[in-house]
Amino acid sequence: MTTNYKRVTGDAVEYEVFARKTRAEPLHQVGSVVAPDDDLAMAYARATYDEERWCEMAIVRKDHVIELWQPGEIA
Amino acid sequence: MGTQAEFDQMIKSGELIESRNEMTPEYLRELKHTLIVSGDTELISAPAYYLAAKRAPSINAFMTGIAIIQDELAHAHIAYHILEDLGEDQEKLIFSRDPKSFRYPYAFDVPLDSWTELVVANGMYDQAGFCLLGDIHDKCSYGPWKRGLNKVMAEENFHLRNGRTWMKRISAAGGSAKDELQRAVDWMFPLSVEWFGLPDSMKMHSTQLEYRLKGLTNDQLRQWWLSTVVPYCEQIGIKVPAHKEVRDGKDVWDLDYPFPCDFDPEAKRWDFKKPATWDDVLVRWRARGPRNVEMVAMFQEEFHKFRKTHQKNGS
Repeated sequence: MTTNYKRVTGDAVEYEVFARKTRAEPLHQVGSVVAPDDDLAMAYARATYDEERWCEMAIVRKDHVIELWQPGEIA
Repeated sequence: MGTQAEFDQMIKSGELIESRNEMTPEYLRELKHTLIVSGDTELISAPAYYLAAKRAPSINAFMTGIAIIQDELAHAHIAYHILEDLGEDQEKLIFSRDPKSFRYPYAFDVPLDSWTELVVANGMYDQAGFCLLGDIHDKCSYGPWKRGLNKVMAEENFHLRNGRTWMKRISAAGGSAKDELQRAVDWMFPLSVEWFGLPDSMKMHSTQLEYRLKGLTNDQLRQWWLSTVVPYCEQIGIKVPAHKEVRDGKDVWDLDYPFPCDFDPEAKRWDFKKPATWDDVLVRWRARGPRNVEMVAMFQEEFHKFRKTHQKNGS
């Protein structure tokens, strides 16, 4: 499902932000950002989730994530 | 959405709520209210701290101040973005609301006019935020918020350390620097005590507690705050109007002044000889304090200017 967020510069979409602190741990979701394009989304993710020295960070457009099931749904 | 009974069972069993379709309308309403208070508090701390950070004694100190402000804006973003997921319009919430309708603690409406007052705010207001959000982080039944607070807790710890380190340094310097610190604590301590709201004896029913949006009562949070701030101030040689008692084998923190009592926000002075009622306090809170309009204008005016220019350019 795509959610369009209204922003002053037009429409924007949501990106999930993933990161990990060490090579030994898996990538996990640390938050999300809303941005009009990939470049700004990268900038927002980097500036917003700066609480650790992450060894890896990646963002994914939320509407590109394919949900199989969600909490409360039967697998 | 499931039935009310299914929902109540989920809350009771300690299960996390993950999406809007699992909520009852009342839970959604209460969650949104709690998030708005949190988002507004983080947001307003930015202009409040910025106006004082400009008085920083060195470039390094200024940069620390600015880093704290950036953190606070990211924390506000977390709360407002969750509200957006729950159907609210983030831009309207931030940029189109009347200043008086923002729901942050009254303390931020009293101007922080110096670096000393800013570091006391870091030591006391951020400690209040740490207690309130730490409790939510620990107990909150809404999964996305509970997880979002991981980042917030790590950073509030840093703000607190900045406040405490500077308070200690200023106190150790002695002389007029220490006098200024004591004066700041004199008006900011009681404002932070007030931060936690009505005493439990006057608050009959808490939907927030029932829905596990928080875990501790107002008085429990206030006691937690006192148990960290009072010993620290005593340790660095700063006087605070509270002390420890032992009752039934437990440490209890008692205030040495009538709570609540009369406050003059322009003079930044408490009158401990003039007890007030909570109705008086609520009137003062609702009227908001001296800096409310100025601070809200700081982020709202630029937004509307930007939008105007943008529309002219036709994009």
